[in-house]
Amino acid sequence: MKWLLFTATGITLFGGFRRPLLATGILLELAYLAIRGMDLGRLPLIGPHDTLVFFSTSIGIMALPFLFFPSLRDAELFPWLTGFTVAFFALLSLPFPAFAMPMPPVLNTLWFELHVALAFFAYALFAIGALLGMLFLKDGHRHLLDLQYKAGLVGYSFFSASMVSGGIWGYYAWGTYWLWTPKELWTSILWLFYTLYLHLRLKGSSWERAVAWGGIVGFAITLFTYLGVSILMKSSHSF
Amino acid sequence: MLKRIYDSLASLTFGLWLLAGVCLAMAVGSFVASERSAINEVPLFVWLRQAPPRETWWLWLTLAILVLLVINTVLCSIDSLRAKWQRGSFLMRIAPQVMHLGFLLIVLAHLLSASGSLKESLQVREGMTIGFPDGSRVEIAELAATYGKMGMPTDMSATLRYAEGGTARSATIRPNHPLFYQGVGIYLKDVALVPYHAGLLEIHKEPGGGAALAGALLFTVANLVLLAKRRGREPK
Repeated sequence: MKWLLFTATGITLFGGFRRPLLATGILLELAYLAIRGMDLGRLPLIGPHDTLVFFSTSIGIMALPFLFFPSLRDAELFPWLTGFTVAFFALLSLPFPAFAMPMPPVLNTLWFELHVALAFFAYALFAIGALLGMLFLKDGHRHLLDLQYKAGLVGYSFFSASMVSGGIWGYYAWGTYWLWTPKELWTSILWLFYTLYLHLRLKGSSWERAVAWGGIVGFAITLFTYLGVSILMKSSHSF
Repeated sequence: MLKRIYDSLASLTFGLWLLAGVCLAMAVGSFVASERSAINEVPLFVWLRQAPPRETWWLWLTLAILVLLVINTVLCSIDSLRAKWQRGSFLMRIAPQVMHLGFLLIVLAHLLSASGSLKESLQVREGMTIGFPDGSRVEIAELAATYGKMGMPTDMSATLRYAEGGTARSATIRPNHPLFYQGVGIYLKDVALVPYHAGLLEIHKEPGGGAALAGALLFTVANLVLLAKRRGREPK
């Protein structure tokens, strides 16, 4: 079924000139994810291949409403940047094998699926926020910053809910809602950073560029939390 | 003088610096923390007293900043409620402050857990019993595991027998399904069937669990209210 992922990646990479075409690429990637989920009998959320595809698809799905916002109709660069980002993470997933191993018992709970899925929805919105921040720094249109804030606020809500479900899962799986491991520390750093980002906006219009940069730095922290910690550090989240 | 201190402690700018400070201290800590550290094996305050300063300094710094952040959050909430009490919708006024309250409850939860949590590991076999301080006992009646095609465990369980209120009871625990008994949770971590049926249990006490859940629920509900009220309107 990887041909479907290849096709979707090609369309998202080069389809930025027509938004409906880009949307088709995103939906094809969603179809790949759905088929993979049906094969496994669960959400595909374990291992680098599945999580990278889930992340890439989440970015695409979360970007869909933004692609068709009237205020972003003239932002020609936005669909290209979205397509590149979606394709980039889909391409990263390709070297990794798509495992079909059974779910370890400790992960076999709705709380785990909720925790991870919500985290990826949040990461996706943080990615979109970063793209909008880059466009604001380039063009200076205020509505881009407003949309970045909306992406950040909804992403923060998803991320908070992910931390809550993760805490509940941890309590039932390990006996504690919190472990002092690098992954938990960086998850908290990410949550606190977006708390800072959302409050930064209260400083007023003279801080607009700082807010835009905040959205970009936030996504860099997101990537380190998701990929950097797993690669560089030992964590309770290494399954 | 007092007014100046109050204004500084209650200022948004100070809160932003504190948030940045906590992020930085925890980021450094994630690299400093040793993989062999016992930080998750004992209550946090015990670890802070026992571990060498080169391992703990970042956490002391984090805690110091968090104390200031808690003060800043409380004062900001009071100031915000005083300033906006007569303006706007009630839900819009109260929702951010309820989120602050949720955050404060989660900090309180960590404080309770840091001082009173408990974790014990037990290697058990079928037929063994675990004793509790009040003299009651829990018997490990049966240990079971099933394995998938690749030899990986797909399920494991332990059947426990115990008495509660003079009545004999039995419960089956498995990963994600602990037994809560005498104020502690009994968790099944592993089961081996050869050469004999043996298991690894963990006993956990998490005194901050209730406050953490209450804080998380308050935060989530207020967050949803805020999102619903802000839907379709330009952010300020």
